[in-house]
Amino acid sequence: MRRENEKKSFEQLLNREGVQSLIASFICIVLGLLAGYIVLLCINPAGAGRAIVSILKNFMYFPRPAVALEYFGSTLAKTAPLLMCTLSILFAYKVGLFNIGASGQYAVGAGLSLYLALAFQMPWFVCLAAAMVGGGILGGVAGALKAYLNVNEVIAGIMLNWISLYSVNMLLTKVKESSTTYTGALRTNSPGALLPSMGLAGLFSGNKYVTIAIPLSVLIAVWVFVVMEKTKLGYELKATGLNKNAAKYAGMKEKRNMILTMVISGCLSGLGAAFLYLSGIEQWSCAQTAVPAMGFNGIAAAFLGMLHPIGGIFSAYFIQHITSGGSYIDKMVYCSQISDLISAIIIYFCSFVLFFKVCMKRQLSKKKGGQ
Amino acid sequence: MALLLQYTLIYASVLLLVALGGCFSEHSGVINLGLEGIMVMGALGGALVMKGMADLPALLLIVAVVFGSVLFGVVYSLLLAVAAIHLKADQTLVGTAMNLLGTAAATVFVKALNMAEDASNVSSSIQYIEQKKAFSLLKIGNFELSWFMVLAVVLLVISHVVLYHTKFGLRLMACGEHPQAADSVGINVYKMRYAGVLISGMLGGIGGIVYITAGVSEWKFENGVAGFGFLALAVMIFGQWKPGLIAMAAVLFGLFRALSNVYSGFDALAALPIPSTLYNMFPYMISLLVLAVFSGNSRAPKAEGIPYDKGKR
Amino acid sequence: MGEFAIEMLHITKRFAGIVANDDITLQLKKGEIHALLGENGAGKSTLMSVLFGLYQPEEGKIYKDGKEVEIRNPNDANDLGIGMVHQHFKLVECFSVLDNIILGMETTKGGLLKKDDARKKVMELSERYHLQVEPDALIEDITVGMQQRTEILKMLYRDNEILIFDEPTAVLAVQEIAELMQIMKGLAAEGKSILFISHKLNEIMEVADRCTILRKGKYVGTVDIKDTTPEKLSAMMVGRDVSFTVDKKPARPGRVVLDVNHMSVASNRHKKDAVHDVSFQVKSGEIVCVAGIDGNGQTELIYGLSGLEPLSNGTISLNGQDVTRESIRQRSILGTSHIPEDRHKHGLVLDYSLENNIVLERYFEPEFTDRFGLLKRKEIREYAQRLIEEYDVRSGQGAVSVTRSMSGGNQQKAIIAREIDKNPDFLIAVQPTRGVDVGAIEFIHKQLIAQRDAGKAVLLVSLELDEVMDVPDRILVMYEGELVGEFKPDEITVEELGLYMTGAKRREQA
Repeated sequence: MRRENEKKSFEQLLNREGVQSLIASFICIVLGLLAGYIVLLCINPAGAGRAIVSILKNFMYFPRPAVALEYFGSTLAKTAPLLMCTLSILFAYKVGLFNIGASGQYAVGAGLSLYLALAFQMPWFVCLAAAMVGGGILGGVAGALKAYLNVNEVIAGIMLNWISLYSVNMLLTKVKESSTTYTGALRTNSPGALLPSMGLAGLFSGNKYVTIAIPLSVLIAVWVFVVMEKTKLGYELKATGLNKNAAKYAGMKEKRNMILTMVISGCLSGLGAAFLYLSGIEQWSCAQTAVPAMGFNGIAAAFLGMLHPIGGIFSAYFIQHITSGGSYIDKMVYCSQISDLISAIIIYFCSFVLFFKVCMKRQLSKKKGGQ
Repeated sequence: MALLLQYTLIYASVLLLVALGGCFSEHSGVINLGLEGIMVMGALGGALVMKGMADLPALLLIVAVVFGSVLFGVVYSLLLAVAAIHLKADQTLVGTAMNLLGTAAATVFVKALNMAEDASNVSSSIQYIEQKKAFSLLKIGNFELSWFMVLAVVLLVISHVVLYHTKFGLRLMACGEHPQAADSVGINVYKMRYAGVLISGMLGGIGGIVYITAGVSEWKFENGVAGFGFLALAVMIFGQWKPGLIAMAAVLFGLFRALSNVYSGFDALAALPIPSTLYNMFPYMISLLVLAVFSGNSRAPKAEGIPYDKGKR
Repeated sequence: MGEFAIEMLHITKRFAGIVANDDITLQLKKGEIHALLGENGAGKSTLMSVLFGLYQPEEGKIYKDGKEVEIRNPNDANDLGIGMVHQHFKLVECFSVLDNIILGMETTKGGLLKKDDARKKVMELSERYHLQVEPDALIEDITVGMQQRTEILKMLYRDNEILIFDEPTAVLAVQEIAELMQIMKGLAAEGKSILFISHKLNEIMEVADRCTILRKGKYVGTVDIKDTTPEKLSAMMVGRDVSFTVDKKPARPGRVVLDVNHMSVASNRHKKDAVHDVSFQVKSGEIVCVAGIDGNGQTELIYGLSGLEPLSNGTISLNGQDVTRESIRQRSILGTSHIPEDRHKHGLVLDYSLENNIVLERYFEPEFTDRFGLLKRKEIREYAQRLIEEYDVRSGQGAVSVTRSMSGGNQQKAIIAREIDKNPDFLIAVQPTRGVDVGAIEFIHKQLIAQRDAGKAVLLVSLELDEVMDVPDRILVMYEGELVGEFKPDEITVEELGLYMTGAKRREQA
């Protein structure tokens, strides 16, 4: 009797939307890791197991807790910008737009914040605001092209990505170090532009890259959740995304909503770039010929998090965790891009998530029918 | 000048091939945003053939290289076909995943290959200095006519004939416009859509190998193909999904792309105070402009992007 | 060889949860026109899909010329000589007429299309059956009538012997209907067997030899047309005697609510105006109906009134206030409600919950949103529940049901509840009864009349002649974007109305 009850409550659990999403995400991760493992096996069977463990261990690679903690801090510092890109993508997707331009908005955010920091010694909050505005404007351009000229936002986004990349390279060449292709380090050139740590660094063995960006990004995730689910604005934007004709019929300004969505989405991406570069953890390379990967990893994290802002916090962390973990595998045997490969495979499987869920539902209803 | 012409034609060939690929896929009703990844894979296939069969006589080598690219491109495009046609996945997401996957997989693969040969070689490049010479059909001064240009023109003609003068083309386009109508007269919509996507894999794959052999004699796979797959989509939209117009659009875009390679050879252009980066941005800016002007009243296949469900009528 | 071309015996087809066809038998004699009658949802379409190979039945057998056959897909149906003119034409718009006819049956030479023989055959058929078409014109450029003739030619080109017409008159003008009837009779005389699906009794009486009636997925009976009357048919269709007339008291029109002057709306498709120089008024306490054949500018007229499309000329005033340039939202706030023509395109966000759809036009009001911009979920739930109860909107999980999962009739009820409860001065109802069952139709008509009696101005757009004659107090006839006549329902007959609707007659407005 009791077992039956347990079984029942288990099935009820399975019927819940959230639980199904969680399982589907988990399947995606497992499949992605499995595929990655198989690739490693093909390259060199001997070290495959160890390599996949290193990817998953990431900072735990270091046996001393204090060091591990410090590197955990670095992973978190890079998770914050990724989370912003994740939020950017899921926000737009909820309104029916695929913001593949997040990378470009991110690049513009990086460009403006670093330029203001290095050329004008602006304080950090001004740099943050500029990154946000820059990303927002670029997002708005893509939104306006879609709303008024019916330009596919994906193709426009890609074009804008490249245009922004080259523009930012041009802009930042003016403030780069003379001997390298990288922009100057903020710590020496413009300490006022560094994001404050507010004592957070102390929690991570003095890792100075741990800044307010981390709690701020989580707060913004919560904000996105509240806006989407609880407010008039979210109601309107989602209605526009689901059926723009009905939105228009109901008196909503569907074109304005589309542009507004892309502006907000762009702001989030731009802010993400500022979160990374104003922490001082990385410098921008003015010779880079590839669009920042952050925006694309954001796609993986957004879908892995089932397009839920809170889910996005965890999935962004996971994606960053394995990306950072990729740098710990044995360079003599494998290359670090293996983690890119895994996250690309995860994105591919994420597109089947709906399919997984449908299968799960069908299985469950079959069971019910049988009883 | 000859150099500009050559680069224009070779980039136009790439854009033409890939855009024709997109055209077949979209006429069947599937939006192929994964062309970028398909190009990388096709390039990888061709490059591997060049690496492995360097000793073949020139003509055979060309055939083998094209075959390698086609094989890789087609197999890779199956990822899109299965996901979009049978599993009804979001075509944008699948395409994006394919683009990321293509570059990542090619990089991992080539690095592994290089490391296996020489443990200290961790680059993701494949060299083909000698092999590349096989693709040259004839040389007039600086201008080098490539076999690939000829191939592109031949495939253009074939594409036109297939789309507008064969049973297959008629049926393919019916599936992209009104799949229910096609189904009601006994056409297997799923099969036709597979055909459309696989043809795009084939043409995209060839486009990939032509792209990486266009100017240089080694390719670093980490770089992917720099948005060329998407430029090709812009070419396709500009060409209104019609092979003839696509060809013209491809030449125009090819010219802008070629300028960034050779502008320094022109004294007048080099003298202008325009940074080189701006030339790099040119094709993307032009395509954005073209999209803005031509997307409004486009004649895109009506049913593109919508998964076909037999049950729904 | 028996006398039947096709027999469908004891067909049962189930979908998740419902039995769409329950033990249905249909026998089609050679050379006859056999009508299949039933309401929306009676199972007609399902039965025809089974015959056409689109669905497989769970039970039952199909015989062709006395031999049992299995029809697994449209190809099988085609091989057996079964063809169908679908209600929504299955034509590729950017293809020519000829290409559409040969699609799937192409002849080739050396791998290339060879259309000469096909063209000859099509032209022969076209002459023989008086099916006039332009073979090289694109479908998107020709009239609906010619599109339908293309569909018929498609069947004849395939040498089909059994022709199914699925509600073929719904899209046609009156003369075109008469023409089609002639064509059908001609085809039957040549030995083709015709299945004619319809719910229009007068057409069945005119053209059919026999009629099979379905109701709620069940077989009711088959009758000879010469032995029956429209009343008997309709009683069989609905399962009870229905009064064709709607009970209502005489109207008591009051002040002018809507005043339209010289209104024009540009067309998206042609250079000509879709609505041209239209002027009329709607007063409180009356129902005015815009009648006309589909595609004569009614849609654009309503888009202009609701604000979905801008006017190219003229003015609209509501309660004496000029609203010509006001936004959709502003018109709604000023007292316009709009039950839209296409509930899936405009009326509902299908993936939203029922409660979210119920507040679709009011979510921003202080009643539902607080001053911080947060939605008041509790109030929305309570409001939705009240409307669900009052208007008897049925759904799986009440207020939180996903609207997509609801039946068409209940979706429509939800829209009507939303629009009426807004308490408008001016209610627009465009084909409010389209695709809903008889019970719901009565309910909707009663609601419209109740609104009128409460002193609202109601503008009804309808394509159904029964509705046009029964519900309104005044009829405006629209033809090619212009108003060509104004009548009281009791001063005009259906036949005469038809002449105005087809442009054969027109009368200057009073």
